[in-house]
Amino acid sequence: MTTWPFILLLGYILTAFLFPLMKDVKRAFQVAIGLGIGMTLVAVFQLAHVVQSGAFTVVAGHFPAPWGIELSIGGMEALVAILFTLASTLTLAHSMTTISEEVKPGREKMFLSIVHLLMGSLLGIVFTADIFNGFVFLEVSTLAACGLIVVKDKPDCMKAAIKYLILSSLGSGLVLMGIAYLYAISGQLNMAFVHKALQLGDYPNMIRISTVLFLTGLGLKAAMFPLHIWLPDAHTSAPGPSSAMLSGLVIKAPAILLIKVITDVYGLEAIADIELLPVALLLGSAGMILGSLFARSQQDVKRMIAYSSVAQMGYVFLAIGLGTETGLAIAVFHMLGHGFTKSALFLAASSFIEQTGHRSVEAFKGMGKHLPITLIVFTISGLSMVGIPILPGFISKWQLALATIEVGPILLLGIILISSLLNATYYFPIIINGWFAEADQEVTITRSRSTKELAPIVLLLVAVIAVGLFSGTLFQWIHIGLLPS
Amino acid sequence: MNFLLQNYFEVGAIILFAIGFATLLMHNNLIKKIIGMNVMDTSIFLYFVSIGYIRGGAANPLPSGLMLTGIVVAVSITAFALALTVKLHDIYGTIELDEIMQIREEADSI
Repeated sequence: MTTWPFILLLGYILTAFLFPLMKDVKRAFQVAIGLGIGMTLVAVFQLAHVVQSGAFTVVAGHFPAPWGIELSIGGMEALVAILFTLASTLTLAHSMTTISEEVKPGREKMFLSIVHLLMGSLLGIVFTADIFNGFVFLEVSTLAACGLIVVKDKPDCMKAAIKYLILSSLGSGLVLMGIAYLYAISGQLNMAFVHKALQLGDYPNMIRISTVLFLTGLGLKAAMFPLHIWLPDAHTSAPGPSSAMLSGLVIKAPAILLIKVITDVYGLEAIADIELLPVALLLGSAGMILGSLFARSQQDVKRMIAYSSVAQMGYVFLAIGLGTETGLAIAVFHMLGHGFTKSALFLAASSFIEQTGHRSVEAFKGMGKHLPITLIVFTISGLSMVGIPILPGFISKWQLALATIEVGPILLLGIILISSLLNATYYFPIIINGWFAEADQEVTITRSRSTKELAPIVLLLVAVIAVGLFSGTLFQWIHIGLLPS
Repeated sequence: MNFLLQNYFEVGAIILFAIGFATLLMHNNLIKKIIGMNVMDTSIFLYFVSIGYIRGGAANPLPSGLMLTGIVVAVSITAFALALTVKLHDIYGTIELDEIMQIREEADSI
């Protein structure tokens, strides 16, 4: 069966319009979670198909490849689809009972519609083999992501959303210009056909300009270091479940598209001739160090986690910048691990804020007794970011270190080490204060959480640990169809 | 020079792109930012459509079709940005980004 990607895409986009018609919010959420579980199963079947019979492409519509749109599914796409469906379903399950406190009353069903549109467009970005189709999905995801921020209807959100919208449409403009250059020299839009056409002609300058446009445009959307300025505001002011999805999933999709453009459109050999990847390497390392330094100086816990995302995306761009197949696989693996970790962290942080009424990092003192699950989430994800064995953060750092020894200067190894230590300086105070320090003032838990609400966070943590435990198999699967044969 | 004159569509598109880009980045007024965004998008449409132009023949329909999609996307982004601008004006009474920042800082310090 090769219809799995269509079931995923249409299942999300078409059902988005059901929710405003429903009367009961609770029922709407149950339907959405049920659909999400179904979609996760479909994504798992799709992965099983890829593992069994290799990467495949399917034609959308009746026209074959150069004219019609194709979707191409390999191990990377199938795994990222599981990350997206599973993490969004668990986030919805977590926010089922608290959503009326997070968003403006009466907008709960709208929230579900936006989430489904967002998931459909993100999966579209990941699956597509047609660059213009990818651009359209990028724009849909931008609008949906802005919708997720403004659904709270606070002044902060409006300000953050317009900043995100303007910078993001700047990024889309650059991507579209890149597509225009590629179309002008190749006359094709399908990635494989553009690749073939580029081999025939000799237009080094046009190719160079278009790669720069793609890196800047997609880097802006994926929070590559100096272009991350929209991220902290947007991810801090958004409601809890929205931040989990924005930070865990939305910034991953453009990075996946960048990997697809590098491998399928230009090809790794061709891109090595252009001085593009060292730029990604440099900006990635800058993000790893400076993102962590910014995170250290934050008082607001959500803002700290948001800056930590900038640092983690730095690892992804560093891995892409290595310019080898191993590097790209590490980038994908890091995004898988980080997607689950960051979703869990944001959910835990927003439930902490809601239960105690405090936003500052200081307020974590002595919370281990009162909110053990929240602090366990912080402990495990903190340990993963610092790089303790078994956890995914360690695996990607270890592999990244091995890959840099093969390719790059030894300096990169130092940057990875320093960045890990910096991660420790802002996650460990929370962990140590939380478990061992005494609270300064009397702790008042305004609203305790039931196990039903905490179970999704625990499941996300299980997913984090599973990604770390089965890293060998995951790496094998990522390599299926990563480079075009 | 001759090269520039022969490709006047492309040259015009790049100049428009630069104007739009600069307007988008350098102005604090949200409406001006949105206008800059639209100028930038329109320049890309011009560039794309000019690729499909065939001297003396019928035009290649594909770029025009693509740009139809592009225009729809640009319109929806503009509509959303304008709606947000109206909201911000309701909240802060101004659409200058630097003034909004100032008001927020004053609110924070109290």
